[in-house]
Amino acid sequence: MSRYFSQVMTIIWKDFITEIKTRELFSSMFIFALLVVIIFIFSINLSLIKATEVGPGVLWVAFLFAGTIGLNRSFMLEKENGCLQGLLLAPMDRTALYFGKLVSNFVFLLIMEVFTLPLFMVFFNIDLLPHLLPLLYVIFVGTLGFCAVGTLLSSLSANLKTRDIMLPILMYPIIIPIIIGSVRMTGQVLAGEPLSSMMNWVSLTLCFDIIYIAISIMVIDFVLEE
Amino acid sequence: MSDEKQENSSILTWLTVIAFLLAMVAIFVYVPTEQTEGAVQRIMYFHIPAAWLAFFAFFVVFLCSILFLWKKEREWDIYALASAEIGVIFCSLVLITGPIWARPIWGAWWVWDARLTSTLILWLIYVSYLMLRYQTDMGSMRARFAAVLGIVGFLDIPFIHFSVLWWRTFHPPPKMISSEGLGAGMDPSMVSTLLLSLGAFTLLYFVLMGQRIKVEMMRDEVERLKKDHLYSN
Repeated sequence: MSRYFSQVMTIIWKDFITEIKTRELFSSMFIFALLVVIIFIFSINLSLIKATEVGPGVLWVAFLFAGTIGLNRSFMLEKENGCLQGLLLAPMDRTALYFGKLVSNFVFLLIMEVFTLPLFMVFFNIDLLPHLLPLLYVIFVGTLGFCAVGTLLSSLSANLKTRDIMLPILMYPIIIPIIIGSVRMTGQVLAGEPLSSMMNWVSLTLCFDIIYIAISIMVIDFVLEE
Repeated sequence: MSDEKQENSSILTWLTVIAFLLAMVAIFVYVPTEQTEGAVQRIMYFHIPAAWLAFFAFFVVFLCSILFLWKKEREWDIYALASAEIGVIFCSLVLITGPIWARPIWGAWWVWDARLTSTLILWLIYVSYLMLRYQTDMGSMRARFAAVLGIVGFLDIPFIHFSVLWWRTFHPPPKMISSEGLGAGMDPSMVSTLLLSLGAFTLLYFVLMGQRIKVEMMRDEVERLKKDHLYSN
C-alpha cells in the first residue's frame, strides 16, 4: 500500500516540478478563465439581469473552459518526447498513473479557481465571503467530477491526431450532469440558502464523482496499453 | 458468408418489409385520429419506436463494449460500431419528429424539457463516439478507445436523466407503460398500432445490423487482401 502511495506521489511531484519550472499551465489557465468572465460581462447586461442569477453559470463556464486547457495539456505533455512511453515502461500500476494525474490536474484546477474567485467577486459585485465554506465545498466536488472524467478522456485523446479538439467534444456531453449540479448548487449557496435544502443535487454530484473515479480505475488499463 | 446465413438474412428482410407495410396500413388507415391533437398525433407511431430503438441500440453498444474489453475479439467491436451508427440515426429521427409533433401541440419547436434534453445529450455522446472512431486509425487502439467511451457514455444515462429531470420538465409522462398497467389511458387500437410499429422498427434494427456487420467484415477482408498481395512483395 505504501509502495502504491509513493508511486502516486512520484507522479504528482513530477507534475508539480514541471509546473513550478515552467509556470505555463497556471498562467494560461488563469488568464483564460479571467477572459471568459470578462467576455461574459460584455455579452450580458448586468443592469437588467441580477448578478446572482447569471453569476454561477458564468463562473462554471469559465472553470470548465480554463480547466479543459489544463486537462488537455496533462497527457499531451507526456506524449511529447515519448515521456508517456517511459511512464508506461516504469514498473508501476497504471491506476497509480491515473491517480497521480488526477490529483495533479485537480490541484492545478483548484489553484486556478481560487485565484479566479476574488476577481469574479469584484466584477460581479457579489459578496462571496459569508458563503465561502459551502461555496468551496461545491467547487471541490464539481471540479473533482470534472477532473475524474477529464483525466480519463485526456489519456485517451492524447493519442489522437486531433487531440486538442477531441477532448472537449468527448468530455462536455458526459460532464453535463455535474455542470448542471454545480451551477445549481452554486446558485443556491449565493442566494444564501443552505445546501441541505437540495440534498438531491449534493448526492447526485457525489455519486458522479465516486462512480466516475471507479469506472476510470477499471478501464484505464485498456487505454494506457501499448 | 454461407448460403444458410444468406437465406436467413433475406427472410428477415422480407419479414421487415411485410411488418412495415402492415404498420403503415395500421397507422394511416386503421387507427382512429386522436380527438384533441388531430392528425399530427400519428407521428407518435414513429417517434416512440425510434426512441425505443435508439436506446436499445445504445444499450447494445454498452454490452458489446464490455464484451470487447473482456474477450478482445474483433466481432464485438464491429457489433458496437454497427449498433452505434444505427442508434445515432434513430436518435436523430427522434429529435426531428419530436419538434414536428411539438410545434402544433405545445406551440414551440423545442422546449428544454427533461426528456428532450436528455435525448439531445445522448445524441451528442454517441456522435462524439462515432467521431472518435472515425478519427482514430484502424487497429486495436481504436477498438479499445471506442469501447471505453461506449461504457463511460452509457453509464452517464442515469446521471443525465436525474439532472435534467430536476432541472425542469414538461414532457407528458410515458403513456405506454404507466403505473395503471400496460397501455392504460390509450385506445386499444392505438396500443396495437404502436406495438406493431415497435415490432417493425425492431426488425429493421436487426436487418440494418446484419447489413452493417457484413459491410464492415468485407472491409476487413479487403484490408487483409491488400496487406497480403499489395504490400508483401
